[in-house]
Amino acid sequence: MDYANSLYLTGPEVFLSVSGLILTLIAAWGGQKAARLSTILAVGALVGASIITAAFLINPAFEQGGDAFGGLYRMDAFGSVSKLLIYLAGIGCLIVTPRFFDKGLEYRPEYPLLVVFASVGMGMMVSATDLMTLYIGLELSSLSSYVLASFTRSDDRSAEAGLKYFVLGALASGILLYGMSLVYGFSGSTSYLAIRPAFEGTLGTGALFGVIFVLAGLAFKISAVPFHMWTPDVYEGAPTPVTTFFSTAPKVAAIAMTARITLDAFGNQADAWRQVIIFAALASVVVGALGAIGQSNIKRLLAYSSINNVGFILIGLATGTAAGASAMLVYLAIYVAMSLGSFVAVLMLRDKDGNQVENMADIAGLSRAKPMIALCLAAMMLSLAGIPPLYGFWGKFVVFQAAVEADMVVLAAIGIAASVIGAFYYLKIVKIMYFDEPANVVTGKNDLAHWTVLAVTAIFVSPLGYLLTIPMGALADRAAAALFAVV
Amino acid sequence: MIGIEHYLVVSAVLFVLGVLGIFLNRKNIIVILMAIELILLSVNINLVAFSAFLGDLTGQIFAMFVLTVAAGEAAIGLAILVIYFRQRGTIAVDDVNRMKG
Amino acid sequence: MVDLSQYLPILIFLAIALAMSAAFVFLPMGVSRLTGTHNPTANKLTEYECGFPAFEDSRSQFDVRFYLVAILFIIFDLEAAFLFPWAVSLDLTGWAGWVTMMIFLFELIIGFAYAWKTGALEWE
Repeated sequence: MDYANSLYLTGPEVFLSVSGLILTLIAAWGGQKAARLSTILAVGALVGASIITAAFLINPAFEQGGDAFGGLYRMDAFGSVSKLLIYLAGIGCLIVTPRFFDKGLEYRPEYPLLVVFASVGMGMMVSATDLMTLYIGLELSSLSSYVLASFTRSDDRSAEAGLKYFVLGALASGILLYGMSLVYGFSGSTSYLAIRPAFEGTLGTGALFGVIFVLAGLAFKISAVPFHMWTPDVYEGAPTPVTTFFSTAPKVAAIAMTARITLDAFGNQADAWRQVIIFAALASVVVGALGAIGQSNIKRLLAYSSINNVGFILIGLATGTAAGASAMLVYLAIYVAMSLGSFVAVLMLRDKDGNQVENMADIAGLSRAKPMIALCLAAMMLSLAGIPPLYGFWGKFVVFQAAVEADMVVLAAIGIAASVIGAFYYLKIVKIMYFDEPANVVTGKNDLAHWTVLAVTAIFVSPLGYLLTIPMGALADRAAAALFAVV
Repeated sequence: MIGIEHYLVVSAVLFVLGVLGIFLNRKNIIVILMAIELILLSVNINLVAFSAFLGDLTGQIFAMFVLTVAAGEAAIGLAILVIYFRQRGTIAVDDVNRMKG
Repeated sequence: MVDLSQYLPILIFLAIALAMSAAFVFLPMGVSRLTGTHNPTANKLTEYECGFPAFEDSRSQFDVRFYLVAILFIIFDLEAAFLFPWAVSLDLTGWAGWVTMMIFLFELIIGFAYAWKTGALEWE
């Protein structure tokens, strides 16, 4: 085995792990005073990991990617693009965090540390080509996430969110693991490359159960219906910066991991898993759209919105084609920007005492009190609804196009119908902000970090985002091709 | 003679018990933690049985990783439970309802 | 009839074990009686000299700090499980295996240092 090569290919993870260990020591010796320093260093570590990943992406020697550690791990364009999204989302979430904890809540250096460790785990998830690597990466990110969800120890909603997330997440891991053990038993290997030829032709009952259990566990992790029930509670209860993180980076990682395992390991059983993914996609789109109606908490509403968006992303995966996978990545990138933007906008809603505002009624007439936040939030909502001049439309468009090309017109039609239903509640928020009587609750001040993240994401979802269409499409195509090249 | 199928049946029974333990349990969150451990151990039985049956060591190594991760998971579960208990003063399952929806 | 004579070695082994363990238990007791250090107190007579009594109603409440110790113990204890397969296969994995395990142990030490420094090991 060539260790230098393996270490180069796992570069981002190695770099982040070492940074994480240093941050651990800083957290131990620096105590609470080191929280800000630790945040800055963690952002630096994520930036460094992004640079390593980007350098890999343009390295001509690894155009086709490469296997590390005897096929346990694979670095290729698909993994790199997903990792870049994860790291960028992580940076965005970390920048906006410290301000949130200013108001009497304890901010500790462990927070950025956990984000870094979760990022290591997510990087492993998207690069794993072996069930063992996948499991370790998944648990590393999940365990960090459980702690993050219950981070504000003085808030009982946070503790409850952490508990619910932990119980359901552990159950999901158990289901996934049981499926993995069956897959291992009936294919004789844990490596994707060996599972693929072993699962050819008609599957036996045991192997089929294995595949279905794995898919069920994965559906839990990406919060696709019918395994979505934890999402609204956790999103509402967790501190808002943590919710911002949950709705972006782990989503990317879980979906990328699902794409790799379905297209590579179960590539010869497309008919088996596509049924499941199509069902999950349709159910998520519909439940996400209907569930959001009547919610009075903004974070809860955005949770349903994320379930809805996962459905659209899964439509791309359900096609099982390279075009579909490429569309999925484009949608994912736009979704991350929209989700980050909307949660940061929510984070900026503070009353005069600096407390978070989460109630729909309290943002009435926001356009008069805080015109810029209202404008950005409205742009995010309209973009999530997929209304044309905004960039969210492009994501939906490429996904539906891929579905139609793969002869899945019905799926695309139901998706479009559901996005019309979804538009209802997105527009309702816009209406509340612009046309209702001002509630004058949101009066708090915001700092530069929030404005920066909000501005960047707002520009990305604005029509200016279309300037990125061609490079982003090319990158997504290359990533999707890498996924299909392994065979 | 005990064959691979016997191990699979035992493991499946334990797995179902674990899942039911999570959903049917109305009393105590500690019981849920135990049910989660039961699920992970049923997976381990599967892995080790398959490993012996296939004559392939991978399954046993996997089982080792599952064991250690299960320990970490239990530790974090207990830690979250302690935080929750300090907040609410109870760990009854029926009281985990601060958020409804 | 089963030939029991082949089990003679294990019988001898058990007999020696019994004799040794009996000696380990009773010899100190006898010596302490004879030398006058036999001085039982309430704490000495409990099953364990620290922790809480082993035989009482299992529903009684006990200190949440025991949980913390248990949590730390279970983590560091189970990581040791990796050492056994590593040790028996070291001739196959060679220097790469040795270096990897040292890195792993070093990471574990950082975790331990964190637990120590943040006061998780302090009882009060």
